[in-house]
Amino acid sequence: MMQQIDLARTALLFLPLFLLGLLALPGRATRRAILALIAAAVAAFALPLILDRGTLTYLVSFSTMAGIYAILALGLNSQWGLAGHVNFGVAGFFSVGAFTSALFTTTMPEGALAAYSQQAFGLQWPFLAGVVMAGILAAIVGFLISIPVLRLRTDFLAIATLGIAEVIRFIFQNERWLANGPQPMRGIPRPLDCLFKDPACSWLPTGVADFLAPLSPRDYVFFYLIVVSLILALVFIALERISRSPWGRMLRAIRDEENSAAMNGKNVTRRRIESFVVGSFIMGVAGAVYAHYVVSIDYSHFNPLFATFIIWVMLMLGGSGNNKGAILGAFAVWGVWSGAAFMIDSASPALQLISDDLPSRGAYLRWMLVALLLGLIVLYRPQGLIKERKRVSDFMPDDTNKD
Amino acid sequence: MSIHDATGDADAPRHADDRTTGERILAGLRSRTALAVALAVTLVVFWGLGYRQGASGSDLLSLTIWGVMLGGIIALGAIGLTLVYGVLKFPNFAHGELVSFGAYGTFTIMALLPASAALRPFSFGWDLLVGMVVTMPLVALVALVVDRVLFRPLRVRDASLVLFAMASLAASFFLRSVIYLVWGSDFLFFYPGRSNPVLSLPLDIRIQADQLFVFVLAAILVALTWILLSRTRMGKAMRATANNPDLAQVRGINTERVIAATWALGASLAVAGGVMYGLASQLRPEMGWFLLLPMFAAVIMGGIGSPAGAIVGAIIIGIAQQVSSSFINPAYGPGVSFILMVVVLVLQPMGLFGQKDD
Amino acid sequence: MALLEVRNVTAGYGDTEILRDVSLEVGEGEMVTIIGPNGAGKSTVMKTVFGLLHPREGSVHFEGEDISRLQPYQIVERGMCYVPQVANIFTDLTVSENLEMGAFLAKRSEIEARKEAIYAYFPRLKERRNQRAGKMSGGERQMVAMGSALMLNPKLVLMDEPSAGLSPKMVGVIFEQIAKINKAGPAILIVEQNAQLSLRMSDRGYVLASGRNRFEGTGEGLLNDPEVGRLYLGG
Repeated sequence: MMQQIDLARTALLFLPLFLLGLLALPGRATRRAILALIAAAVAAFALPLILDRGTLTYLVSFSTMAGIYAILALGLNSQWGLAGHVNFGVAGFFSVGAFTSALFTTTMPEGALAAYSQQAFGLQWPFLAGVVMAGILAAIVGFLISIPVLRLRTDFLAIATLGIAEVIRFIFQNERWLANGPQPMRGIPRPLDCLFKDPACSWLPTGVADFLAPLSPRDYVFFYLIVVSLILALVFIALERISRSPWGRMLRAIRDEENSAAMNGKNVTRRRIESFVVGSFIMGVAGAVYAHYVVSIDYSHFNPLFATFIIWVMLMLGGSGNNKGAILGAFAVWGVWSGAAFMIDSASPALQLISDDLPSRGAYLRWMLVALLLGLIVLYRPQGLIKERKRVSDFMPDDTNKD
Repeated sequence: MSIHDATGDADAPRHADDRTTGERILAGLRSRTALAVALAVTLVVFWGLGYRQGASGSDLLSLTIWGVMLGGIIALGAIGLTLVYGVLKFPNFAHGELVSFGAYGTFTIMALLPASAALRPFSFGWDLLVGMVVTMPLVALVALVVDRVLFRPLRVRDASLVLFAMASLAASFFLRSVIYLVWGSDFLFFYPGRSNPVLSLPLDIRIQADQLFVFVLAAILVALTWILLSRTRMGKAMRATANNPDLAQVRGINTERVIAATWALGASLAVAGGVMYGLASQLRPEMGWFLLLPMFAAVIMGGIGSPAGAIVGAIIIGIAQQVSSSFINPAYGPGVSFILMVVVLVLQPMGLFGQKDD
Repeated sequence: MALLEVRNVTAGYGDTEILRDVSLEVGEGEMVTIIGPNGAGKSTVMKTVFGLLHPREGSVHFEGEDISRLQPYQIVERGMCYVPQVANIFTDLTVSENLEMGAFLAKRSEIEARKEAIYAYFPRLKERRNQRAGKMSGGERQMVAMGSALMLNPKLVLMDEPSAGLSPKMVGVIFEQIAKINKAGPAILIVEQNAQLSLRMSDRGYVLASGRNRFEGTGEGLLNDPEVGRLYLGG
């Protein structure tokens, strides 16, 4: 028999599962919607029954993190897949988004706290306003960097974006007044976390409050998964629309035949800048979603490995130019990354045999694994697991049009 | 590799009449001369800012000299980076890791050697120099293996530049994870606790003997590289391949051999750079990554594929980084090099000594 | 047996097929011209002969040996050289260094002698031997390109549009040099827009259109063929 806590979890699981169904199931719109409804309902009931509570919670928090990465991967895809920009500085836009939203939504520390924790301002804006500001700020940074660099060759963009991300990280590391310098910035509010508190939010109807009552703050992630999947769905739909619009078609044309003299140079540059800015906006949004999930952030969260590099691996694995692939890649690579932690833990005695130091350094085996993964993708499947529906011309030699 | 037209006109368009005044001014700003002037002005402004922040003349002089030394270290890395960039036509994001491997490799070789007394006034002994020389071919081997496994298959397929860049990023993270696994994440020192006295020089310049050594070694290696590139057949073939890889193939140059030689030379210089950097500060797994931005800035400033340009660029970057520490947080050093790089990209992406494909 | 034999070659890039079933041959010491409209695949023939592009079907034989799968440097070793149409000199290197790079495979001791021989052909290059090649005029560059190709004393020289972008006067000078080179020994296979001049000097010629052989014959024969004239020589 299902207990009330499982029932409440079922209710919270339904929406993310439904969205997953819409994304994954085949068929036309209406048929797909019905199928997804049924599948989501079945799965939402089945999951709490099959899995024990701890495992389910782990699975949900895993999906939440993977979903955040999926938003980043979509942002990167709108730059690389759509327009061919090589952004090696995802971490920069991600962190700008995270810190911006944190600054707009937190409370300015006062009194004794102010001695330990400094920040430029704290406006106590609502969550969604923070998310929007995060996107806007990241987009502005993207715009500023794209003006001097986008008219240049791809390799310069790669170097310059890598540089801007490092500089942004230095700023968040060293400027105490801005966002508490090297110390973490704490107390980033979770949207609607009163749902899981006792007593629950005052405005909540008693029926709903009673239904949710068995859930503890530890179950908050079930709600946050809804937030993440809604934002992910929104970004996905927007990007799908964009890539089918005349704007998206033009971008692809620019990407595939950059040398074509037929196109108006000024328009080409503008389109390229626009697509870079759109991608930066999405990355900023992802940063905000991340900040409100982990509650406490500092510069070290945004290092080149797991804020830039791993996202490239996700996108490359999923197939650049393909939004579904980007999401799939995000889940797959995050799965490998998280799974590797377990593997390395269990392999610890074996590592001990090789060297005493190795178990404590085991975490770096994960780096190695992800680096190997990217190397293998580049060598053997540069088009990813799923191909772009049309063709991925970035990987074809471009001398076909000579004599 | 040509200093002939350092100050020459950039790309004076043939139909000057068609342009508006604004375009003409912009084109003027985008010449090499303008770039050289802009960089010189930047340095002067930096000195001025330092002076306003209360740094004395001799402080600034010391900082400038330290900057030249830092420039020497950056140059050792940047020469290899620019050669690989020129010959293989992609930015090698793993070059910083070759620098780190040089430092850590030397550290391990030194542990195998009998400890030697310091060669006063320097803080290091023979073991450091022997370790460095032994490590050079080892790191060259690492570079060649990476090339064989990763880059060569891409070359054979004629893959796009982006895939090369991505592959090099993968190599960078792979090599760094090896450093973490083998040597751990703690800082290491070549000579922990050994004193490194400051020499007293006229004009109140404070400088360590080691720093002078770094500079002299960098100068010698740079000179040797110069001779190699301008006098030997393989060196000329490297320049030829960097200049026009397709034609090099057509002329019967075995480009794979040239590429191997380029990696070997670049890696050996990176080892020297890493050892000098480790001697000047400490060994940490991220040391090469932190040098990557200044190295790229030097390469772009000097013009891709031009070793002479990389040296000049490295010294400008080194001075700018050191002098800027008199008025901003020294942690922003790499940021300063980044800003200078953006200035170069805006004014003249060909750099000071870069060649147009004419 | 001909020096060079191209047998039923089909070749192209990626999905695009540019040459279809092309055959031609060059005898020892012969001068042969390929003409044809833009996009006919003339440059592709050169690249396929020289190993920059490998044929999908058919084969290329040099002195009886199948060279279809060899790399360019291996083909150079066998005595064939190629002067591309564009980007055919190392602009960063001096004239003298350019010539040395042409003889990368030669013994060190032979290089100086070969250089002197090239300077004898092109005295202008001797005057400018220490100048950076990128600073030179179009005609001088063409001399550097041809000189470098001759450094190894090849049996066959491929030339891709040597007159492209040159002034009419310079075209005359360059063709005079080509004739001189040809007389001195090596066979020459030339692709030319300037069909009249080139065919007049050639022993034989081929007309290529849409990636296929259309006509072949002696140089004079093609020049006087009314159909070739109407279609490809501008009346």
